[in-house]
Amino acid sequence: MALQRNHHFLKSEQLTFRHEGENKPVFQNVDFSLYPGEAVLLLGPSGCGKSTLAYCLNKLYPEAVDGKLDGAILYKGKMLEEFRPGEINQHIGIVFQDPESQFCMTTVEDELAFGLENMKTPPEEIGNKIDKALELVHLLPYKHAQIHTLSGGQKQKLALACVLSLKPEVLILDEPTANLDPASSYELTSIIRELKKDQSFSLVIIEHKLDDWIDLTDRCLVLNREGEILFNGSTADCFNKYAGELQAEGIWLPSSVKAGLLAKKAGIYKGKNLPLTEGELIAGLVNPNAALQILDNRKIPPPGLKEQIILSVKNLSFNKDGKELLKNISFSVKKGEFVAIAGSNGSGKTTLSRLLAGLYTPSNGDILYHDRHLSLWKEQDLRQRLGYVFQNPEHQFIADTVYDEIAFSLKIRRMPDADIKKMVQTSLQQVHLLQHADMHPFSLSQGQKRRLSVASMLVNEQELLLLDEPTFGQDANTARELMALMEEKIRRGGSVVMITHDMEILHSCADKVIVLSDGEKIYEGLPDDLWKKHEIMKIASLKVPYIEKLRNDIRRYGREGKVCSYMNLTQA
Amino acid sequence: MLDKWKLREVIVLSVLAVVFAVVYLVFVQFGNVLYGMLGLIGYDLIFGIWFIVSIIAAYIIRKPGAAFLSETIAAAIEVMIGNAVGPRLILSGMIQGIGAEAVFAATKWNNYRTWVLIAAGMGSSVTSFIWGYFISGYAAFSPGYVTAMFFVRLISGALLAGLLGKWLSESLAKTGALSSFPIGKEIKRGKSDNGITA
Amino acid sequence: MLLHEFNPSIKALTVVVCVLVLSIFFDPVTPFLTLAVTAAATFIFGRVSFRRWILLFSPFIFMALIYIWSALVFSKAIEGETILWTWGIFTLTEESFQRALSLGMRVLSFTSLSLLFMLTTKPAEFLLSLMQQCRLPPKLAYGIMAGYRFLPLIKEEFDIIRNAHRIRGVPKARTLSEKLAELKRYAVPLLAGAIRKAERTAMAMESKGFTGDRNREFYHKISVSWKDWAFFAFFIAVVLASAYVSWLFGFLQLYNGKL
Repeated sequence: MALQRNHHFLKSEQLTFRHEGENKPVFQNVDFSLYPGEAVLLLGPSGCGKSTLAYCLNKLYPEAVDGKLDGAILYKGKMLEEFRPGEINQHIGIVFQDPESQFCMTTVEDELAFGLENMKTPPEEIGNKIDKALELVHLLPYKHAQIHTLSGGQKQKLALACVLSLKPEVLILDEPTANLDPASSYELTSIIRELKKDQSFSLVIIEHKLDDWIDLTDRCLVLNREGEILFNGSTADCFNKYAGELQAEGIWLPSSVKAGLLAKKAGIYKGKNLPLTEGELIAGLVNPNAALQILDNRKIPPPGLKEQIILSVKNLSFNKDGKELLKNISFSVKKGEFVAIAGSNGSGKTTLSRLLAGLYTPSNGDILYHDRHLSLWKEQDLRQRLGYVFQNPEHQFIADTVYDEIAFSLKIRRMPDADIKKMVQTSLQQVHLLQHADMHPFSLSQGQKRRLSVASMLVNEQELLLLDEPTFGQDANTARELMALMEEKIRRGGSVVMITHDMEILHSCADKVIVLSDGEKIYEGLPDDLWKKHEIMKIASLKVPYIEKLRNDIRRYGREGKVCSYMNLTQA
Repeated sequence: MLDKWKLREVIVLSVLAVVFAVVYLVFVQFGNVLYGMLGLIGYDLIFGIWFIVSIIAAYIIRKPGAAFLSETIAAAIEVMIGNAVGPRLILSGMIQGIGAEAVFAATKWNNYRTWVLIAAGMGSSVTSFIWGYFISGYAAFSPGYVTAMFFVRLISGALLAGLLGKWLSESLAKTGALSSFPIGKEIKRGKSDNGITA
Repeated sequence: MLLHEFNPSIKALTVVVCVLVLSIFFDPVTPFLTLAVTAAATFIFGRVSFRRWILLFSPFIFMALIYIWSALVFSKAIEGETILWTWGIFTLTEESFQRALSLGMRVLSFTSLSLLFMLTTKPAEFLLSLMQQCRLPPKLAYGIMAGYRFLPLIKEEFDIIRNAHRIRGVPKARTLSEKLAELKRYAVPLLAGAIRKAERTAMAMESKGFTGDRNREFYHKISVSWKDWAFFAFFIAVVLASAYVSWLFGFLQLYNGKL
């Protein structure tokens, strides 16, 4: 990279941050420099202070919280404290994770004007700057739109435009895609990639899923659990040295690194370094075709799936406010089956799941649970036999302690106290929450909340469990544990219907996939067959899972000749 | 007054006001039912609920102006989302807020014990009643009825604003969502003092 | 000329002053005439459909009826009034009937004034105007805007929580203590989520360089012209003219001085 490396312009010295009244620092002794035009990936286990560090670099902390920051941060040689309030924000911009809480105005135009006014831009120049910034993120047609009518992906693009309108030299990305579906997430990363080519800014990236970012990254900075720097260096070195540790901490590895790690363990990867890209992986595999079988984690369908249908949906339609949200949908769920529902945002997935749970009443058509109309079930009986896990675990919490959260539904069933105690303990043990039994559910970590919400829906041994994107925004460990719980559920004869954007889950766990688009069912069948239906994949903006992509590429390179294709790949 | 406030506190205040503006609107429906059954005094029974945001905001944020501003903003938001009482309601909100704020001011914004919170709820009852007397023409009612209305509203302010507000704030603090506010720190300290089961 | 074009702050001031002036009168004709003119202005110059207007207005008809009813039953008996009807301790005089009617009309006239404001004013412009004309501190004004943005979100979450309670099998609250527990189950997650979001929004605003500085130049300027003051004068005149007409026909009654 042809950049002048000698002039770092953002630098931290022995940075340590503590929350008020706490001895343990969030992060400590962080020495870190950022050079012009550079992209740095900030990695570390959840709770290691990545975001806190980012907020300190931006001077948001410690002012916004009661905390103490020791050490120094210099921007172009000037201490951050010497900048007037608000001044540094023109140079260092940030895009946050939550699309819902980044704005204070009602329309797109006003929101951009807000930032420009803060910077004392002369009003007559503001209009022009708003247009330019919106053009960069392809949002110009939405200039006069109300922000709350935008999709999550559009909101994040708007947040990016707000920052770009101030022409920052450093852009901090604090998990901007964590709340987006894969299609919007890909779009946002593509825009950032484009911008980075044309505009000269440095990037500090904090992200969850790394696949879309890895080729953009020049350097990695890894923090450990104590908030100290574990590693600071090139991306390749980072994963070569710490892939195992990162994985153990629940950090999602880039797919190629993960596959490489697996292949290396199985002794079929001969490359010296772990691969960062697919090309490197293929080049390093001893026998790519044979490796596919080892790397493929598709579940083997249980021998003789029982043919008992427990839920059947016939010609289901649902209208709300004069809009047809679901049109004529039919399918069934068998005992012991794992059904995945996929589709782009707004395709009607959540609406469908709420109908299946009996929360909404169909406008047309029937839903039968155990051959009986949902509407004929007694509410209490239905709830004990059919569970539903909401996207946000907090919505489901109703008690003051973790223990009572699980005990709640058992108490409704008037079970003896001794039995309740035993069952709650077993249940909490299963999701590793026993030591937190006395805590308030809201004070748990994100992963713990998710596990608790699932546990509360498993305790009644419900035969059918509906889940609305349960792995969304979770770290790799929580996602893995969650899927293990689902497998256990299926093994014991339960059925699972899960809405998911995660094609890896779909590939590895689902017996059947239903794809929705604009309220219509456009696919029902095996996941393996879905990957071949390019038209459907495109309409529903789905991406093939990593292993399928790998399979296709291996096939292609097999035809074209290995050396040549490897060259192409490394250049691409 | 506002210069000493952090932006975070202002927005939390405003969000509290928004949530309770919605609650207030819901209670208008509920109030109308009571009103239909019991006449004007039916409203006074639950009048205290309309002061609750003052108590909660003051108890959480603990800065001069919290009670007054929260009630005023809640009223303003109520107007924006369709309480057809309109801009006049903002004035009502201000007057209710002043009642509670006056009580907190009398303690120099230093004391947030239960009796102060109750007194603040009653403070709103008093100012709101004076305002109502003028604007809604209570003068046309018999003095006995007006007196009864006043006492019912006073009790309602004490219970539905003062006590309920305190209880809700503390329940909220237990979730950890208020950890950066004094009340959150008190709850945390209380926990570490008497073990986990505080 | 549309009502939307007038300065929001002056519009609000107009409504408040009209309400205060109307509170002096205790006869039904003054508020009724004001109501008629205000509603007409809303339809003609506000381009508001009658359907939408009556939808918001109708609950207040009910409220007005209750007012009339309460004021009749619990009216203040004043010596020397013309008795219309007596039944036990219940006495209806002509004057008290008129007072009751005036209170009901008052509610409706206030409502019509408020609707004129609400249906022709955008919240964002009102706040911008409050900052530009009334020196409302930007910190507060933008804070309110930010909170206001949460509204659709809060409604949505409220729905989700209600559904989630059904899923958990929470029984219907019957006793008072169950009702309180229910209130808490709704309020706590809603508030906890909202407060966390509020704190994040505050940070996002600060990250855009917002300091609450009162010297601010606005992209979207809201101005005041003589037309706005003419609007103000017009509506005050409407109220006074209503009172005058009422006086001409012998209805006008001010508050009689006994508190």
